[in-house]
This record gives sequence, structure tokens and C-alpha cells, in this order.
Amino acid sequence: MNVSNEGGSHGKGASQDFDLNLAPIIDCFTVLITFMLVSASFLATGIFDAAAEAPGQATSDVKPPAVHLEVTLMDQSNIEVKLSGKEKFSHKLPSKDQDWNLTALQNELQQVQKKWPEVQSMTLTASNEIQYLHLIRVMEATKKIIPGVLFGGF
Amino acid sequence: MSKRNSLLKKKRASEEMTIQITSMADIFTIILVFLLKSYATSSIQVQPSPGLKLPVADSSDSQLEALHVEVSEKAIQVDHQPVSVLDHFHFQSTDLQANGISNSLNQSFQNQKKKQLFISQANPDVKADKKVLIIADQRTPYVTLKSVFASAAQNGYSDLKLIVAKRE
Repeated sequence: MNVSNEGGSHGKGASQDFDLNLAPIIDCFTVLITFMLVSASFLATGIFDAAAEAPGQATSDVKPPAVHLEVTLMDQSNIEVKLSGKEKFSHKLPSKDQDWNLTALQNELQQVQKKWPEVQSMTLTASNEIQYLHLIRVMEATKKIIPGVLFGGF
Repeated sequence: MSKRNSLLKKKRASEEMTIQITSMADIFTIILVFLLKSYATSSIQVQPSPGLKLPVADSSDSQLEALHVEVSEKAIQVDHQPVSVLDHFHFQSTDLQANGISNSLNQSFQNQKKKQLFISQANPDVKADKKVLIIADQRTPYVTLKSVFASAAQNGYSDLKLIVAKRE
């Protein structure tokens, strides 16, 4: 960067041309950028809310709903939807193309929600070897219909 | 003679040449501003261990601070400290109680709860909360997760915050 002031009256004919020394600024920037690149996390993460009930303990003092909804992920991608309380049923949703039939599950939950609007949470359980990824997939598919998830089976 | 003069002039000009670092400073400033911005707005400061694969999903993001529990293939860490040894995502049978609760994990949660209660007693502004951040590998079987959730809930950590990688 070159700054000049040739028309000034300072000094006796001495030129006021000077170069701003950018080298230390560049040094600082290099150190700062390196530090931030190393420490920054570029993984965008999100959160799924859920709850767990301790064996023999209630999670809250809120009056339980008239019906209790339970979704169980079973082996071979089968899903069981169970309703207990004032209305009782148990529906099995078989796998579709060797994957979870999430569309059928969503339809099933929508029907339950339509009939029992106070149902805002469900208990989610799974067989022992069902992977966490599948639980998240089911939670992702059902969160718009039934927002609350309580992990059970223990 | 004139040829020689022009050669000398060229030589002198090349000797006086300096690197233009003004543009470099501009670039660095832009990179620094970008990094500072992304640094400040990142939602949760979660740094999964190498080899840990988070499940991918569309989810909400919100800033929160809670107890970190990381479940990977070989160990479970509570607050970045390894507490339980896992064998291919499974607890060792000697570590498990009849109800599925892990002894080592239960002990660790008890210690964390004691610490929280101690702090909340000393400072009324701090309250012992129920939240726990679960950073689990997507391959973790439910039998292991059940033990983690049961151990957490047993010690009052019933509000689970499951961390997932956001779908791009």
C-alpha cells in the first residue's frame, strides 16, 4: 500500500511516500485462520427430543392420556402398532421391499391421532438387535404426527 | 549503447519489485470473517470421536449444554471420560445387572448427579437438570441403548437429546 502526500508543507523537500507494512498483519491472519480451521467443527448437527422412563418411576405428574400408543420395531423390518386403554388394538405392518413401511406407519398414526387428538406421545421400543439408525428413521417419520417419544422396553 | 542502457533499466526494475500482499490481506480478511461467522453460529459443539458415524436425519437445532454421553463401538464416554468398555457395541455381561442397567455407567451417572447437586447447593442459580446429550453410533443395537437409557433414567437423566447429523 503506497500513500503519498506530495503537496504537503511538512519537511524540507523530504518525500512522504511510505509503504504500510502488511507482513505482520498477514502473519496474524495466517495464525488466526489456521487456529480456526483446526478448532472449527464443520459437522452440522441437530437434536431429536426423547424421554426415558426409569423402571418403576413415572416421568411426570401429568395425567396420562385415555389411550396409550406403543410402536415396536421388530426383526425383518416389521412394525407393530399397539393401542391400549379405552381402545385396544394391535396392528402389524409388514416390511415393504425389505425396508420399514414408514408410509403405512404414518397412516396408522394419523388415524389414531384423528380419533384421539390428545395423544401427543408414543412409546418406542425395538428388538434387541435393531440399530439406532432405524430408531432415528422412525422418529423422523413420526415426529410431525406424534411429536413425543418415550423409549421403553426396560 | 542505448541497448545497454535499456538492459540496465530492466535489471534495476526487477530488483526493486516487491510482492503485492495487499490482495492477499484482502483474501485473508474474507476467509477470517467467514470462519468467525460460522464459528459463532454453529449450534451444538459436538465433536464425535473418530470412527463414530452419526445417523443422518432432518431435525431441529437448538443450543443447549448438557451432560455428554457418547456410545461408540468400543466404549462409552460420559463427559469425555471413558467409563464402560463395549465389545462390538455390546456391554460385557459382567457389567450388566439383571434389569439391564450397566454398573459402570450407573456409577458414572451417580457421580455426575452428585457433582450437579453439589454445584446447585452452592449456587442457587444453577439447577440440576434432567438433560443428557446422546451421541451414539448409528450401528448401536437397541439392547445397548436400552441399558444406556435405563442407567441414565435411573439417576434422573430422563430428558434425552439424541444428536444426529443434519441431512444436506
